[in-house]
Amino acid sequence: MKLVLARIDDRLIHGQVTVGWGHKLRPDRIVLASDEVAGDAWQSRVYAMSVPPEVGVLVLSVSDAAAALQSPATCDLADQRVLVLTGTARDMQRLVDAGAPVEQVNIGGMHYARGKRELLPDVYVDRDDLQSLRALGEAGLEVTVQAVPGIHAEVLETTTLRDLETRL
Amino acid sequence: MIQALVLTHGNIGEELVRVVEMILGPVTGLTADTNRGRSAQQVAEVVSSWLTGLDPEHGGILFIDDYGGSCANAALLGGADASQATVLSGVNLAMLLTFATWREELPCEDVVQRVVDKGREAVTVVGGAR
Repeated sequence: MKLVLARIDDRLIHGQVTVGWGHKLRPDRIVLASDEVAGDAWQSRVYAMSVPPEVGVLVLSVSDAAAALQSPATCDLADQRVLVLTGTARDMQRLVDAGAPVEQVNIGGMHYARGKRELLPDVYVDRDDLQSLRALGEAGLEVTVQAVPGIHAEVLETTTLRDLETRL
Repeated sequence: MIQALVLTHGNIGEELVRVVEMILGPVTGLTADTNRGRSAQQVAEVVSSWLTGLDPEHGGILFIDDYGGSCANAALLGGADASQATVLSGVNLAMLLTFATWREELPCEDVVQRVVDKGREAVTVVGGAR
């Protein structure tokens, strides 16, 4: 298995993922790691319908996704190019803590919600988000913000995240 | 009255509606919204709110720009699949002009068919290299 992208995006599967990154990275499978979506047959179906026919979708709980990424053969991922998605920074942290072999984290979209502050355009965070992102950085992962290929990838330094967290 | 929401990326929908009204004059019940700056859940809430305001007798059409994108997901997650609305992707100017022209004269299912036909007809090679 080759993990081509691990992305935090609260829109989950949408055009930036399937067309933007999909065209560049050519994933065979998208692993959508979300307890909420995995527990809702209709949401799972909607997201599975959103991909081009040549791309497969696995909707799994975060813990099942971590297990699948650690043992790719169990979910037919062994020889696949895999793009993994979570809807929140917290879920990405849980995925990594559970042993998923993620080395870099791409932040695609964390949109505004009440109580969140703008970090960068289309990236709004609260203290919990910052804690998770900082934890990912401290675990040695590079965390970057890049909505689509071909634009500047803004690296989020762990020290910056720590500073922001204390100021929130 | 049959209503319509044009839900798109960026300000495509807003501009399409503006141009429709530039051509035909004000069209009551034709509105636009965007996914810009919104999470999947927030866009789905735009849809569910619009569905709540529909006249159940006449129904409505939810126009989206691209199948497989966040607007399409929002249409389904917002409840359009089980509502009085029809969801149409690939919105273009011809579709909206057709909608605005026929919506007071035909039932919704017939308007939908005309809109789809006109929208497809509008995608054509007009000239140039073949």
